Amino acid sequence: MDNTEPIDPLQRPIPVILCLMVAAVVHVPLLLMKLPLKSFDTNFHIFFASHYFHHWFDPWNTKCFAGFSQATYPPLSHQWVAAISPIFGFDYAYMVVQLASILLLVVGVYRFSLLWTNARAASLAAVASVFVGAESFLVYHAGQLATTSAAPIYLNALPFLYAWLRYGNGRAFVKGSLLFITAAAVHHATLIFGSVLFAAPVLALAFLDRTDGRRAATGKVLARAVAIGLLVGVAVAIVLLPYWIALIHYPITQTPIPHESRANYILSPEYGLTYFIVPWGALILALPFIFLHGSENVKLRPLLFGFWVAFLLGLGGTTPVGSILLGRAFKVLTMERFSYWATLLALPFVGILAAKLIRRFRLAAVAGLMVLATLTCALAVAWSSIEPPDPDNYSVDPVASWLNRDGHDQYRYFTLGFGNKISRLAMMTDASSVDGEWNSGRLLPELMQYSGAALTSSKYFGTGGLDALRAILKHADRYGLKWVFVRDHYYDALLSYAGWRPVDYLEDKTIVIWSKDGVPPAQPVNAPQRPPHWQGLMWGTLPFGSSILAILVLLLIPERRRQHAEAGLHVTPDQGVAARSLAS
Amino acid sequence: MKLALIFVIGVGMFVAMQRAAAQGSMTVQTSVQAGSAFSIQTSGSGEATLYVIGLGQVLKRSVQLGNPVYFEAGSLCDAGHYLVVLEQSSTVETKPLDVMAVSAPGRLSFLAKPSRLPVSVHEGITGAAYVFDSYGNLIVSPMSVSFQLSNSAGSVQKSDVTTHAGAAWIEMDSTGHQGIDQFVAQAGGISSTRVIRQVPGDPCALKMSAQQTGPKLELKTEPVVDCSGNPALDGTIVTFTETYDGGQSTADVPLKHGIAEVAMPAHHGATITVASGVVLGNQIREQ
Amino acid sequence: MKRGALLAFVLIAATVAFIVIGTVWPISTAVAFAGGERLLESSSTPEAAARNLGQEIRLKDWGKAYSSLANRSKFTEQEFVEDVTGYYPSLRTYSSLDHFEIRPLHASDSDADVEFTLDWSTVVGTLPDTRTVHVVRNGDHWEVDWPMQKKPVLPPQVIPVEYLRWDVINRGPGDDWGVQDVDGPNVRIVDMHPVQRAEGVVVLGELLNEDVLPAYVSVTATLHRKDQSAIGTESAFDRISHLLLPKQVTPFLIQFPNASLSEVSSIRMEPFSTLVSASADPVIEIDNEQLNPAPDAALTGQLINQSGQVVNVAHVLGTLYDKSGNLVWVVDQYVDRALLPQTPVSFKIPIPEDLAKKVSSQRTVVATYSFGGFL
Repeated sequence: MDNTEPIDPLQRPIPVILCLMVAAVVHVPLLLMKLPLKSFDTNFHIFFASHYFHHWFDPWNTKCFAGFSQATYPPLSHQWVAAISPIFGFDYAYMVVQLASILLLVVGVYRFSLLWTNARAASLAAVASVFVGAESFLVYHAGQLATTSAAPIYLNALPFLYAWLRYGNGRAFVKGSLLFITAAAVHHATLIFGSVLFAAPVLALAFLDRTDGRRAATGKVLARAVAIGLLVGVAVAIVLLPYWIALIHYPITQTPIPHESRANYILSPEYGLTYFIVPWGALILALPFIFLHGSENVKLRPLLFGFWVAFLLGLGGTTPVGSILLGRAFKVLTMERFSYWATLLALPFVGILAAKLIRRFRLAAVAGLMVLATLTCALAVAWSSIEPPDPDNYSVDPVASWLNRDGHDQYRYFTLGFGNKISRLAMMTDASSVDGEWNSGRLLPELMQYSGAALTSSKYFGTGGLDALRAILKHADRYGLKWVFVRDHYYDALLSYAGWRPVDYLEDKTIVIWSKDGVPPAQPVNAPQRPPHWQGLMWGTLPFGSSILAILVLLLIPERRRQHAEAGLHVTPDQGVAARSLAS
Repeated sequence: MKLALIFVIGVGMFVAMQRAAAQGSMTVQTSVQAGSAFSIQTSGSGEATLYVIGLGQVLKRSVQLGNPVYFEAGSLCDAGHYLVVLEQSSTVETKPLDVMAVSAPGRLSFLAKPSRLPVSVHEGITGAAYVFDSYGNLIVSPMSVSFQLSNSAGSVQKSDVTTHAGAAWIEMDSTGHQGIDQFVAQAGGISSTRVIRQVPGDPCALKMSAQQTGPKLELKTEPVVDCSGNPALDGTIVTFTETYDGGQSTADVPLKHGIAEVAMPAHHGATITVASGVVLGNQIREQ
Repeated sequence: MKRGALLAFVLIAATVAFIVIGTVWPISTAVAFAGGERLLESSSTPEAAARNLGQEIRLKDWGKAYSSLANRSKFTEQEFVEDVTGYYPSLRTYSSLDHFEIRPLHASDSDADVEFTLDWSTVVGTLPDTRTVHVVRNGDHWEVDWPMQKKPVLPPQVIPVEYLRWDVINRGPGDDWGVQDVDGPNVRIVDMHPVQRAEGVVVLGELLNEDVLPAYVSVTATLHRKDQSAIGTESAFDRISHLLLPKQVTPFLIQFPNASLSEVSSIRMEPFSTLVSASADPVIEIDNEQLNPAPDAALTGQLINQSGQVVNVAHVLGTLYDKSGNLVWVVDQYVDRALLPQTPVSFKIPIPEDLAKKVSSQRTVVATYSFGGFL
């Protein structure tokens, strides 16, 4: 690892502040345009946030699934959106949190890469993180706020983990632990899988490095690993206690729902395009280098193995690896997050490759890399327009105002053919729906026993989806279900034969309101599943509190110069300012 | 000494009389008619506040004791039991006041059920009338209400019923003729009309005929009527069933212009039946 | 070879191997997304040819499916697609092939017959379509001779229609109390009969509209134990004709899964009716109704649309009685083809084998639906 400063500007590390500016230039305009609102899940995250805004200490949300617990999803990203929404409004609050995640990723990739390579390559990796297709794909097409927020926090925690394991640095222990806990409060899956894919390579690196410089006994490294693992494990168990309680009492026993990311990308090339070509983009060209360079360099091998496993899992059903390693979880998880993690693990290699190319081909390499990076990012951003999650652009405002007047909200409703707008509608109306987007939160047996996701898209889930639809229609009386808003006339015959009648039109007759006579007003259901008040207090306090504590500790306990080096920040004159400013 | 005693007693009586006069009192009628003007006489001297408190209305007046308090017509409209309260600085006096409904009816609420029924149903029609005064108070004193049910054919059923606790009710038979009946309730010059639709009963003596036209058998009912001779309403479903060797054909056909007709496949030796609801008609065997 | 290069080679080789394994022997989820229970194979046998055709129909790869047919010169691709999906909008038009089964019937060196059962996933449930297809050898492979069903052609004609329709104007929310509204239609349950089946308790019955106006109807049943606690409440859902014209009768069937009749002390039936706007048309004649005995017991017949308008979806409800006229069972089936005027469409509703012997007579009614007939 080189701590000297090259004179050639094409050999010097790019200041991190410049990397952040690049990220801002690329993503701020897109976020100001609210592009993520077109994605699959953005409205769902905003819906969760809106609930926290109104009921910070009560995770029980009655607006979907006739009542479900938001304690089934780690709350931190939603709580941050809710917390700043009075200033920005919900949409822009979401964009602000998303932007913060993107900026944190730049820093995280830089700090993580410094563990494996020099500052020059690490800074190039940080620049590459701005353009990485998987990031833009998750932000603008999938709308996975939690995944894209947790990973940067996790990446930022890893250098502290290394410093603790390698040097026994107490401050790094505190900071790393707090960041891990915060990452778990954003997205628990990132912590669980990140422990294997990200933390295990760092642990291995600490073992490999134990004989360099300050020597550390193997036992000590191991003991430190156990110590931080135990502390973080216990802390996460406490911070997310309502989540674990909900999981233990009501385990996810529902029938798995198909997801295209589990397809074989060769047999189903259309899904290969979406879940491999778009997220990976030009990184595909770097794959041979990653394998070769990662294999040749002993210290990079742990990273290579982490990358390799994530890469194979990200291929979904293209290989049997995901199905074998994950078991039943393979049918519950979506695989694009593994591709995302794999691209993050690949970035240190990409930084090294870019540095080598620029050193050899100078400006031609810079130009070539810029073109490839731009095309990769552009394709991923544009994918939300090329293959839009919801091609129809229409407003659900009339539906919300119809539900909110004349006592219509005394009854429950659901929609057919509304795609991912149902969360937006749920946010705007006072009425309760039996449908929703957070499948793991479902408690109604009619929805859980079939392999359909949201009722609004029943037909896309084949027999399973339509069986779920029929089951819920069958028990309309039980749930006070009186209204069905239909934008897709595919369902008309079923509604008609099941005894429903069209009673009103909206939006120039593009939305038909069907009603069932004789349905009693809605009554609360799923009452036993409602988290008690003390859990609501914990849920509203600990996750958000852990993030505040992490911010305070990072701000108030500055890094010492030596600790920068220990934490993987190899300070050079031109980056020292940036590194300090970021760490403080 | 005696003079002194008499003086002391006299002064004491004077003070007591003064205080009694200052406390004041009121004279209230036991009942008044809703909406009418009335007054409450007060005695004594000084100022007080008078309240008239009922379930749906409260009146408040500042009064100079010794003067009557006038309430203009329309002040108290809701019938019921009221409490009159005279409040002074140190005492409160209460007296009851009943506001009675006006004896003359002002409005009639008339519930007639059902809105539609078959002809010739004994005591199938129910009418209930509630008599209110012009202020909407239920008149609970007995009063005669006249019920009259008349149909387009000219038949009239009429009955007078005395209200009990403000309500009068009656049961009447539907007539043998279908049509729109006027059901009128009348009390003290006020009337209210409801419409009862008498519809035909179950079809009676359902008959059909058959005529073969090529491979088809044209089945046609005679005009379908109920047992009182009223033509069945269009839209009534008539079921034709053709049973033949090992098979059966059916058709649910709505009446149009009182007749149901359908073309069904002709099968040699088939038996054809006709029915409407639970009523069976004639049977035809195809030769 | 250096150790590093060897490791890289091993990792890359393992990756390629995993991809090859995952593609040649795909996992179930991958197969489902690729469109079939099994992937396309060489049409080297009659069954393989039929199976490939099924996969192509399932994937809606019409071009490939059409070009694989032996008799494709006799019709166009469009005609083939319409033959499979329906010439007029119907349940089939909006369905997808859920799965299919192939059963060889006969085979020789040059030709074979296979029974092709296609299970179509429609909005009202899975509807089977069974066809016997002829498969012929063409060189080293086999091709399916698709049994085209003739497109119904109607002679030009004028069918006079007298529209009979009821419209309802209800009282407004601002009307005073006591102002008369139109009463709901009088309906009556004329028969009710609970039975124990393997899947639970089933309540069967018939409902009559006694009124002179059309009625929207539904029936709800609640099973009670001896202590009057409720075992469960269910409704007839689609095993009933929800629209009853005057004097019309519908059967109903209410299922209580996992309930036991021995637990039931009483049943509370709640018929519900309300006035609705309705039309008396179309009239559907049910022709050639037959009770076919076991094995393969079924109620069969043909629906003939007597009116001039196309009926897109028809639901046939059959009420089965024993010799004494007691209700035995209610069967139903959706017809996945549109009913064109005067054009017979067959139906075949299976009857449970254990009940078939008891059935002596039947009564069949049809509920119809036409797309776009709103409000």
